Amino acid sequence: MTNNVSTSTTGVKRRIVKDKMAYAFICIFAFLAMVPLFLILWEVVSKGYKNFNFRLFTEVAPSSMDAMFARVNGEPIPGGILNGITGTILIVGLAIFFTIPLGLYIGIYLSENSEKRFSKIISFLTDLLQGIPSIVIGIIAYAWVVKPLGSYSALAGSVALSIMMLPMIVRSTEETLKMLPRAYKEAGLALGSSYTNVVFRILLPSGFGGIFTGILLAISRVMGETAPLMLTALGASLVNWNIFEPTSSIPLLIWEFYNDPNLIDLIWSSSLLLLIVIFVLNWIAKIVARKWKI
Amino acid sequence: MKDRIFKISLFAAAVVILLLTAGILYALVGKSLEVFNEYGVWGFVSNAEWDPRAATEEYGALSFIMGTIYTAFFALLLCIPFSLPVALFTGEYFKGKRIASIVSSIVDLLAGIPSIVYGLWGFYALRPVVIALGVNAQGFGVFLASIVLAVMIIPYASSLSSEFLSMVPNNLKEGAYSLGATRIEVIQKVSIPIAGSGIVASYILALGRALGETMAVTMLIGNTNNIPAGLRGTGNTMASVIANQFGEADGLKLSALIAIGLLLFIITAIINLIAKLIMKKLSAA
Amino acid sequence: MKKAVLCLLIPMLLFSCGRLSSDKTKSGGVTISGAGATFPYPFYNIVFRDYMSLNDNIVVNYGAIGSGGGIRSLRDKSVDFGASDAFLTDRELESMNAPVIHIPTCMGGIVMAYTLSGVDSLRLTGSLISDIYLGNITRWNDYRIAAINPNVKLPDLEITPVYRSDGSGTTFNFSEYLCDVSPEWKKVMGMGKALKWDVGIAAKGNPGVAGIVQQTEGAIGYIGSEYSLTLGLPVAQLKNKAGNFVSASLESISAASKIQFPDDMRASIINVDNPDAYPMSIFTWLIVYQELNDGNHTEVQAQELVKLLSYIISPEGQQVAARINYAPLSEQAIEKTKALIGKITYNGEVLIPYTEDSTKTSLNTHLTTDTLYNER
Repeated sequence: MTNNVSTSTTGVKRRIVKDKMAYAFICIFAFLAMVPLFLILWEVVSKGYKNFNFRLFTEVAPSSMDAMFARVNGEPIPGGILNGITGTILIVGLAIFFTIPLGLYIGIYLSENSEKRFSKIISFLTDLLQGIPSIVIGIIAYAWVVKPLGSYSALAGSVALSIMMLPMIVRSTEETLKMLPRAYKEAGLALGSSYTNVVFRILLPSGFGGIFTGILLAISRVMGETAPLMLTALGASLVNWNIFEPTSSIPLLIWEFYNDPNLIDLIWSSSLLLLIVIFVLNWIAKIVARKWKI
Repeated sequence: MKDRIFKISLFAAAVVILLLTAGILYALVGKSLEVFNEYGVWGFVSNAEWDPRAATEEYGALSFIMGTIYTAFFALLLCIPFSLPVALFTGEYFKGKRIASIVSSIVDLLAGIPSIVYGLWGFYALRPVVIALGVNAQGFGVFLASIVLAVMIIPYASSLSSEFLSMVPNNLKEGAYSLGATRIEVIQKVSIPIAGSGIVASYILALGRALGETMAVTMLIGNTNNIPAGLRGTGNTMASVIANQFGEADGLKLSALIAIGLLLFIITAIINLIAKLIMKKLSAA
Repeated sequence: MKKAVLCLLIPMLLFSCGRLSSDKTKSGGVTISGAGATFPYPFYNIVFRDYMSLNDNIVVNYGAIGSGGGIRSLRDKSVDFGASDAFLTDRELESMNAPVIHIPTCMGGIVMAYTLSGVDSLRLTGSLISDIYLGNITRWNDYRIAAINPNVKLPDLEITPVYRSDGSGTTFNFSEYLCDVSPEWKKVMGMGKALKWDVGIAAKGNPGVAGIVQQTEGAIGYIGSEYSLTLGLPVAQLKNKAGNFVSASLESISAASKIQFPDDMRASIINVDNPDAYPMSIFTWLIVYQELNDGNHTEVQAQELVKLLSYIISPEGQQVAARINYAPLSEQAIEKTKALIGKITYNGEVLIPYTEDSTKTSLNTHLTTDTLYNER
């Protein structure tokens, strides 16, 4: 009998020890999972801050030769990534233009007609689109835009980014609108407002937080995309605002710098800039989401 | 009247998705036909030869399919010991606490880092470590690419699993506690069985993510057109071979690359579909 | 309702505005775009920039995407000119749908760059390179390498051969050379812009290979000589046909070009007989359609393209080549090239007619190659 008790207490002890160990294991590994973020940030910041200066925003990317001459003379690499910054603004801006109205409309349609068979199909296809690897989207934009127009272009790049952004914006709009209380819509209709007015004056403004957050996150997601742009926008050594001409972008420049050992010092400052923009977008999205919580 | 126009325009917008999908399939399939006609679908998929020389031209996708499978699954395996604790930390142990939201937002930031920056980090920071570990002489290969991929998919795997864990009803867990179960036993016997299929679904989604990842892998895997000789070997994934060779491909080779794109599209679509089906079943139950 | 319509209209409006404004910039200036070889990219980079600073309204855009990409882009007509380090074969010429012209722009050398601590001079032969890339020689201290490097202490280290992942004229010339010197290479690997490699790792573009070689102890790679110079990478001396070990230099590359050229300038200067010649010397070309009115070009664009081509082979353009470690074209080559430019037409009209006795600017009287080379 006593024997029995003692084994059961050691059993309990063992169970408690096991519980504690599991707890420690989970805490340690959860914290270890965060380590890479700080390692990456450290790598980018410590190597990038030196060249993170005004020139980055005012000058276009230097040629390999200029960088080499500067290196030989022990000077910092001349030039910046102005052509990438303007290119990113142009390509992402166009993509925003294409996707926001369309994405909102599709999102509204899906949330308003969620029971229809057709909208179930559309919803399914949206999921399908969301899962397409970015490189495959690059192929598609190449086939749709680059080939027929006969030139690599900012337009082609933005079509690729649009295909990536659209499902994200559709989803966030749909989900936000679905969360709104039905009473909002009913009250509006009861007051004699037209359906259109109810959507634009009541539903969209009340869902603003969620929708806007979704848009910001979609933008921050496509901002760092490189692979689809390699196949579509190609890159350019000068600032270009013509949407039918080849255009650079910040990630495309990082890829070029990576492939050119002379320009290595610029890799890190451009990555730093890209990370800052992306993190700020994420941060604003978080604030908006919190402030405008439904 | 104006409501009618508005409703029609909403519908028209929704039709765009339909057209988009149809257009994507049309573009991919149409351009793949050349290579499928040449070798047959199975002949293309099962052939590991990738020979661009004019005299002996021959294209098969097997090397890249294997490269993709090696990197994606090894990455998935590597990410579990980190993403699962994160999910348990945020969705179970510290559910709703401030520390949980801090941890989850930090881990989520990993998802915001562009692929190319991961590639740089892998090349400059991790590659010397891999060489020092003696994995292979030059560091590049499946091993290095998988480590970086694993870090990239941690947030995808953990945030969804955490959601499913936190949805486990409290009364069930309380029942188990009242019977004297320890916390880890509750997790093992109650939470994980209930949230299990959701967790599996989130890992399937993370796998889908890893399969299509391009830049980081292209920068780290070594870009050789062969079936990787194990984890130490070099190779190419389906995504990285497209990134490497699409710019100059032409004729049959271009068609072969687009066909690889089509295969990648189908594989990721199936994987996502499975995950979504599992999650749908869960939310219906 | 208004808003609904606006939401649809605004993007369309702005889109069309973008279109309008882009048309405007096009009429104000002319954009010439090209793509292709990475090997001469540093040269083109400077020449095009010089040209743009001389001509305010011209923008020349060059994408260094590899020779294979350049030829495809030209065939797709997504660029105005392609650039390649390998001339088109007769079969490729047929596939271009319309006659094209090869304009040689400069010469250069492909070097074997390596990273091996403690080894700053190395001699290699074509057959050794072939054995390394075939996987027959896998370690640096292999007796076959040691045999021709008696005074070098070679480490016991794995060799990591690096090659190009993209279709490349550099690869084409590299393999042409190895086919010439190694029967085994000819049988197993053959010649091409892309090959089927069994050993080594791949990187994109000349700079990509250079970067990996620089970052990897024990690596060796074939790259344009200016890339090795740029990075301070040591390069191997190669044994030429006459049996001498030669480094790639302006002199040794120019020596390789002392051959009789065909009229279309599709010539190879790989592994020539001249005892001073560097064996992996190459030409690099811009490739354009002979008839420029294909629907994609305006007459102004065509004129500007031809002017640009003439500028590159002018003394100003060729001086740049000499300054940054490419070799300028020989007098004979320049004359033949001028004749080729004289064949380019728009609507059947020649754009810059070729006259035999046009002021013969002999490059070599302008600049003695030695002084220029030593300038840097």
